[in-house]
Amino acid sequence: MKKIVSLLLSAAMLLGCMVLLGSCGAKEEWPVDENGLTELFIGGIGPLTGDYANYGVSVRNGAQIAVDEINAANPEGILGFKLVYEAQDSKGDPDSATSAYGKLMDEGMKVSLGATLSGETAAVTAAAKEDGLLVLTPSGSAVSAIADSDKAFRICFSDPAQGKASADYIAEYGLATKVAVFYGSDNDYCVGLYNTFKDECAVKGIEIVMVQAFTTSTNTDFSTQIDAIAASGAELVFLPIYAAEASSFLTQSKGKLDGMKLFGCDGLDGLLTKIDDPATANGVLMLTPFAADASDAKTQNFVKLYKEKYNTTPDQFAADGYDAIYTIVEAMKQAGLNSKDVEDFNARIIAAMTKITVNGVTGSMTWTPDGEPTKVPMAMEYKDGAAVLFDPTK
Amino acid sequence: MIQFVQALISGLTLGSIYALIALGYTMVYGIAKMLNFAHGDIIMIGAYSVIVTAATVGMPPVFAVLISILVCAVLGVTIEFLAYRPLRQSPPLTVLITAIGVSYLLQNVALLIFGSEQMSTPMMFDIPDLTIGGITVDGITLLTLGVTAVIMIALTLFINKTKVGKAMRAVSEDKEAAELMGISVNKTITITFAIGSALAAVASIFFGATYVYIKPTTGSMPGIKAFTAAVFGGIGSIPGAMLGGILLGVIEKLSMTYISTLWSDAIVFGVLVLVLVVKPSGLLGKAQREKV
Repeated sequence: MKKIVSLLLSAAMLLGCMVLLGSCGAKEEWPVDENGLTELFIGGIGPLTGDYANYGVSVRNGAQIAVDEINAANPEGILGFKLVYEAQDSKGDPDSATSAYGKLMDEGMKVSLGATLSGETAAVTAAAKEDGLLVLTPSGSAVSAIADSDKAFRICFSDPAQGKASADYIAEYGLATKVAVFYGSDNDYCVGLYNTFKDECAVKGIEIVMVQAFTTSTNTDFSTQIDAIAASGAELVFLPIYAAEASSFLTQSKGKLDGMKLFGCDGLDGLLTKIDDPATANGVLMLTPFAADASDAKTQNFVKLYKEKYNTTPDQFAADGYDAIYTIVEAMKQAGLNSKDVEDFNARIIAAMTKITVNGVTGSMTWTPDGEPTKVPMAMEYKDGAAVLFDPTK
Repeated sequence: MIQFVQALISGLTLGSIYALIALGYTMVYGIAKMLNFAHGDIIMIGAYSVIVTAATVGMPPVFAVLISILVCAVLGVTIEFLAYRPLRQSPPLTVLITAIGVSYLLQNVALLIFGSEQMSTPMMFDIPDLTIGGITVDGITLLTLGVTAVIMIALTLFINKTKVGKAMRAVSEDKEAAELMGISVNKTITITFAIGSALAAVASIFFGATYVYIKPTTGSMPGIKAFTAAVFGGIGSIPGAMLGGILLGVIEKLSMTYISTLWSDAIVFGVLVLVLVVKPSGLLGKAQREKV
């Protein structure tokens, strides 16, 4: 008898739980703040702690600056909306990113800034596809991050685009004809960049004379790889890797790779915060669509606001986050959405994405239906503790 | 030829650090008969201690090194007292799992205190590099090798010639019998842990000087490799740990240079399996017959 009672009780509890869970699914209503403005909830996800925290924090800070700036400039609301932004920590882990996405949906997210890293963006994109939400990742650069969904777009270049753009850049300005590559063979980002770089090098007649790799379990001692690269006769070393490994590489290669140019992509962003001595990074080139010391008013304004608020110079991830917010506003304008007219919000804002042109701090962008942005890359050079615009013609 | 010598030298650098760590592993195993998997993480704590004292507080290198050794020795003794001593009579598996737990505890405490961002070790020793006929040997490599050799000899002498060493051998042989002979088993094991952890501190100083960047997870991979080295050389044997460490480093670097940078771990562990198949007690280990 006791058994039956306890069984019944647990069944009742289970039912109760299910009802509770069901009731807290995605909120459809649009909350209104104390000033009568409709809130547009934008949710971001990224590693705010952990090895890759610098990327997540930069994106969050950049997006926050844009949100504050837009809200301050539009006391009556932008299209009647007050922008509300919240970033959740994923620690860089796709599973945590999926739960963070669920949490943001429970809080009433209307547009998702995807996630910061590629792996976690793919997880969020998959989850958001069912909900029909627009996903606009500032920095998820692997092709697979947004490939499975026609509702996902990105601000940054995709990895293949970066690898190809790097080879094009090197060829166009005659930086080298013989290159070596050093990359992480168990990392999507590194492999993606390396593969397209290799293909484009073949097209442009750049010879890859040496390829050296490492894995996450062998990322402490690079002396063998450095010796091999030093002996390869390359003029330039392509480094499609992240800043943590790059700092080890640069420290260990001190004095060994003299005369070789070092060329990386957006993974090198934040290098100066990781490296023990900023002079070690001198001369390292980085392909990026954003340069903090560019002279246009838009960039200067962003850099000034960012420095005031966070006491540091924004990197490309911050710029991507900033542009993502402006892109959302632009898409809403294009779609004719406003606080009075939010019918079919998701479908209309997504349809508008391929029609807009955004002049952001990372350049002038348009989007293909695949979600890829088109914009022109630049290169930055590290010099005595700062990244400055590189002039390839000198 | 130059490439071969260069690979050999970087193998020696890596190997001498493995050897230093393996000495601690082997010492604790040889005497307390337990695998202290937290050993690698004590290295990480030692490295952070150097960073805090030398870079943040700005103490001179000699003090930073001494404090790091003291911190690690105290930490090792504390861990032994709190985590392992209550389990002295428990089955070996319990102690092993506890050691893994302690390892994760240390990593996460370090994560809480220092955060996950890597920190860089300040330059402490400025030893000129040695260049002979186009081959450059880092000064730090020579120092590491020298220190490892000195420590190995000192340890061997200590265990074979001193009274405390004799007590250690007795405890290793038979705890109960040692106790009956008037040896304090607890005190002996405490001393063992203090020495083993102090060795970890020495290893951490050279690790920091060679590889600069320290993270909370820094100790785990070298810890596993050094454990492998200790088994390779014959766990419990002090010259074996040194030999195993250096061989492991050299094999790893040679296979990286001549076969593939990605296959080196597979080759290293493959060699370990081979050695254990042919000589189960390791290169210099004593064959022991299990009493049934």
